[in-house]
Amino acid sequence: MSLLELKQGSFSYGEQTVFEDVSFSVEPGELFCIVGPNGCGKSTLLDCVLGLNKLKAGELLVDGKPMKEYRPKELAQRIAYVPQDHKLTFGFSVLDIVSMGRTYEARMFDPPGEAQKAAAMHSLELVGMESFADRDYTKLSGGELQLVLIARALCQNARVLVMDEPTAHLDFRHELTVMDIIAKLVREEGISIVMATHFLNQAYYMEGAGVPTRVALMDAGNFGAVGKPSEVLTEENLKNVFRIVTEVASDAAGERKYILPLRNL
Amino acid sequence: MLQKLNTPARLALLLLLPVLFFVGTLCIGRYHVAFREVWGTLSSALTGHETGIPLRTQTVILSVRLPRALQGLLVGASLAASGACFQSLFRNPLVSSGMLGVSAGSGFGAALAIILFGTTAMAPTFSFAFGILAVILSYLTGKISGGNPTVTLVLGGTIIQSIFSALLSLLKYLADTETQLPAITFWLMGSLASTKTSNLWLSDVPMIIGLLGMLVISWRLNVLAMGDREARTMGLNVTANKVAVIGFATLATAGAVSISGVIGWVGLVVPHICRMLFGSDNRKLIPASISLGACFMVLVDTLCRSLTAGEIPLGIVTAIVGGPFFIWLLKRTKGGSWQ
Repeated sequence: MSLLELKQGSFSYGEQTVFEDVSFSVEPGELFCIVGPNGCGKSTLLDCVLGLNKLKAGELLVDGKPMKEYRPKELAQRIAYVPQDHKLTFGFSVLDIVSMGRTYEARMFDPPGEAQKAAAMHSLELVGMESFADRDYTKLSGGELQLVLIARALCQNARVLVMDEPTAHLDFRHELTVMDIIAKLVREEGISIVMATHFLNQAYYMEGAGVPTRVALMDAGNFGAVGKPSEVLTEENLKNVFRIVTEVASDAAGERKYILPLRNL
Repeated sequence: MLQKLNTPARLALLLLLPVLFFVGTLCIGRYHVAFREVWGTLSSALTGHETGIPLRTQTVILSVRLPRALQGLLVGASLAASGACFQSLFRNPLVSSGMLGVSAGSGFGAALAIILFGTTAMAPTFSFAFGILAVILSYLTGKISGGNPTVTLVLGGTIIQSIFSALLSLLKYLADTETQLPAITFWLMGSLASTKTSNLWLSDVPMIIGLLGMLVISWRLNVLAMGDREARTMGLNVTANKVAVIGFATLATAGAVSISGVIGWVGLVVPHICRMLFGSDNRKLIPASISLGACFMVLVDTLCRSLTAGEIPLGIVTAIVGGPFFIWLLKRTKGGSWQ
């Protein structure tokens, strides 16, 4: 059974349709990348998958059950979220932030305690941030913060992770760190990741790293093509959707493909 | 600063401090009472033993200072804890307990009662009712526009606050300048002098329910401080918890304002002091705000009633003490406890 299945989903803000008749499913242990130009509806689609937006038509199944039948607490155990822009507010410790991933375990008179902290430490280890546990999270660099937010999502112990532009503000080194972590999570932990990204080469990176990867190329509210990166991210498709001229090449060792954007059409 | 304190030590500190201030305020005042007499009177009141302390002294302690001290503790705790809750909820350090219009509504309600009945007897009832009404109106206003719920809630609060302020001005304009206007003005400056007329059901019970509620919900505030989207994806029922936080904070504030009048600064400054001392984790911040808010209010009230032969209104002293302190705090922390 698919972990996540969208059947003919549509969404609109009033009269303005954002996406229409979109279908896809996410299987255990795969990376599902949603790519497309700015404003194509990626983020709105992710919000629907997270239960933050309600579909106007169609159905979303989580573990075979309609999304709307889940309570927030139950959904949090199945789908976790790594936000694109996190607004920093008060100086919580990294451990406090990560243990919030276990909010669903706490009851009214039983606030998060030692068990949640242990789960949080384990998640921090998965992203290599265990030495930051006591640090003030508002004082972290952008890359460190992103890893902490990934750890928080991991702490939810959900089988699906939704990531919105996980490397948007990161330098090359941190981008590669995040890619490594994603690859490890999918291959070793069997987690499924739904990721919206503008860095198309990341899909090729994952394909090259042997991660089961599918790409959905989204254009003006529809999925134009869905499939393996090398089938979808072709010069022809990129020309049609992004209206750019590109060259898809391979590195010297022939292990990994990459896209070189040349010019706008 | 005190973040690393272990839980029992912190708890002991937070419980002990209000007791110290409580006993302190019973000893201090323009009618001289010795600590020994306070102790004797309190224990005889509890055990029923005769002590030989003059009846007049006993009356001052038990009937004048004791109720006032208890109200001071509750009012300070309520205002500070509500302020801390709202700061976390709105993710905004400049927010205080009056954010959603409870103070403006209460002020209007009290003024209305004074004008309608000519005395302040009904002021607590009207103040409580209009305080609650203002918050409900703010919440409904915030919901009309949809969009980002936290932002529109702040907007709703601002709108309702200014409407009630305008209505209050209208009442002041219409009020009789010899009797009603002074009564309204003094009520708005805040005082604990009228605690003898306080109403258990309209002030003490709401404050206690509100305080307990805020304590219980405090850890959820941490999650709410992550923003609606993230809180929701972490499994929190955001709307229900927000309504609960606003409800508890409003009950406490409305209860406090209905007996003490409008007292500014406590709900802003005390949570900040606590944030500096104990960090931003609401599981520590809310109890700390309750404790230090209670102490602060008792201290200010003691100053108000003993510095001069008359009473200085509370609101004046909290602002005079709170304002410069806040400037110092900003310089000291460079806004470091929030981003």
